Amino acid sequence: MGSISLKKINKSFGSTEVLKNINLDIEDGEFLILIGPSGCGKSTLLNLIAGLEDLTSGEIVIDGLDVSGESPKDRDIAMVFQSYALYPTMNVARNICFGLEMNKVPKNEQKAILKKVSEVLQIDHLLERKPGQLSGGQRQRVAMGRALARSPKVFLFDEPLSNLDAKLRVEMRTEIKKLHKRIGTTIVYVTHDQIEAMTLADRIAVLKDGKLEQLGTPYEIYNDPVSHFVADFMGSPGMNFIECIVKDENLIVESSGQKYELSIPCTDALNNSNLDVVLLGIRPEMLTEIQPTVVENSFIHQIEFDVEVIEPMGADTVVIGQWNGTEVIARLSPESGKTAGKGFILQVDTSNAILFDPNTGLRIR
Amino acid sequence: MNRHILTNINIGRVMIYLILLFFALIYLAPLYVMFTTSLKGIEEIRSGNLMALPVDPTFYAWAKAWSSACTGSECKGLAPYFWNSVRIVFPAVIISTIIGAFNGYSLAKWKFKGSELLFGALLFGCFIPFQVILLPMAKLLGSLGLANTVTGLVMVHVIYGVAFTTLFFRNYYVGIPTELVRAAKLDGAGFFAIFRHIFLPLSTPIFVVTIIWQFTQIWNDFLFGVVYSGSGTQPITVALNNLVNTSVGGKEYNVDMAAAIIAALPTLVVYVIAGKYFVRGLTAGAVKG
Repeated sequence: MGSISLKKINKSFGSTEVLKNINLDIEDGEFLILIGPSGCGKSTLLNLIAGLEDLTSGEIVIDGLDVSGESPKDRDIAMVFQSYALYPTMNVARNICFGLEMNKVPKNEQKAILKKVSEVLQIDHLLERKPGQLSGGQRQRVAMGRALARSPKVFLFDEPLSNLDAKLRVEMRTEIKKLHKRIGTTIVYVTHDQIEAMTLADRIAVLKDGKLEQLGTPYEIYNDPVSHFVADFMGSPGMNFIECIVKDENLIVESSGQKYELSIPCTDALNNSNLDVVLLGIRPEMLTEIQPTVVENSFIHQIEFDVEVIEPMGADTVVIGQWNGTEVIARLSPESGKTAGKGFILQVDTSNAILFDPNTGLRIR
Repeated sequence: MNRHILTNINIGRVMIYLILLFFALIYLAPLYVMFTTSLKGIEEIRSGNLMALPVDPTFYAWAKAWSSACTGSECKGLAPYFWNSVRIVFPAVIISTIIGAFNGYSLAKWKFKGSELLFGALLFGCFIPFQVILLPMAKLLGSLGLANTVTGLVMVHVIYGVAFTTLFFRNYYVGIPTELVRAAKLDGAGFFAIFRHIFLPLSTPIFVVTIIWQFTQIWNDFLFGVVYSGSGTQPITVALNNLVNTSVGGKEYNVDMAAAIIAALPTLVVYVIAGKYFVRGLTAGAVKG
């Protein structure tokens, strides 16, 4: 079991408020990602759960027990650090067993656990080596092995992949996901990488300036962001944001020197907001070449688009142009990308478009 | 062409070594004079050349300096004072190093409110000149009943040395990542377990540096030795001074030289044995491993 309940968490360093009134319930066995830009307090929150920092106010409950004042060793959690923090003078085997040794687990039991863990992580051939003789990926595995050995209630990961090169990062990401499937222990995982967040999480908690901005499944976070901030943070290439004038429930977009009226799904909310100008949010994958198979409906528009920059990515091609004087990114197939240029006919699907109040950055809905 | 460059490099190298050799000789000349003089008879010193090798080497001066030369009214040589110094140096070095290690470890990795201020105050201790504390310390030793005792001298050296040993250890431990402490805390290790299992195995260089430093400082100390010791507890530096200044009949330069070498030998030995760690330890914090 390993449910975590964070209640009204506040944390200040001196006069700086780092976390403000965080409420978060993490279910047993859940993979929760804490994400946000640097300085948003996500690592601090993780350290608070671990007990490495003291709460300013609030309550941390693990499995129904208030552990707010408990020391780290009494919380039954394990943590994987960004720098791995392997003990440099101990070999891999002792690194993995150190926690067991400190908790006075009998030697033969330690051996059995070491065998199991090192087989799971495929590091059984490295047990005699010192951390200095390991590659980055191997160190990462040992750090995970050390956490696994104690079979805690909760795993905490603090940006564990950010010191690895791009290819290894993708491999280890998959392995962490497999590992979670296999052991089913609760994981709280801090990252600033939105792809890691999308691929790994059961739920994502987006933090901004010490506040919980949105909590939801990757699907919700990506498709139904509560604010301009969340929409902007998730997705690569990022969502397009265009300031548009409202006219009769439609939005005016100027592209390639012509004016177009785009119909949008959330007209009631738009009417209620009484705004003359709104921020249109639309993902690049909704701006494509003409798709012959699409069923005609009122949200499918065809507009001319002056492509200024073409960036082939392999699987698709990103092109950049302008609407209303704002940069807009569209996602084309590689074939269409080759012919893109001035006056390219773009298919715009606004059925998933969302609107923001340009003043507050909040969703209109 | 290649050969030409090679010759150029060789000439440069040779010049460098020649210059180094020259300075090494200048530096070692006094030691040479001391050593050769200590092996000469007093007649040979009076008549002969300062730089000449001994014609008829004898250990008479060494034997006398060690066991029968007069240091003031006593004529037992340096031996008893050598052992006094040993009895002062070993406990003082060990105690001040251990205290420094724990101080440095706490100040670097277990910061508490006011720990930086405390470190600043300790650092200030490094800059207090010996002379300033002579009188208050004498009063303290007197009231503790430790005046003129070896224990008293050990205490003085420990107190005076802790500022330096703390500084050494603190600066060394600051370079060790704090995440190691955090990881160990989560693994269930406490203050002493973390020190023993993680910090101590990493500490050989800084222990060597501190021990060499403290050993040299305390062994060579004259001022504390002369002020706080009684007639039976004087360290070797004080005895050497007395030996050289006591003249019964003519001045025996050979005995003086032998005595000086005996007094300097232990620090020399420590440095030769542990010297390679000394340089390594002083620079260890500079480059991340």
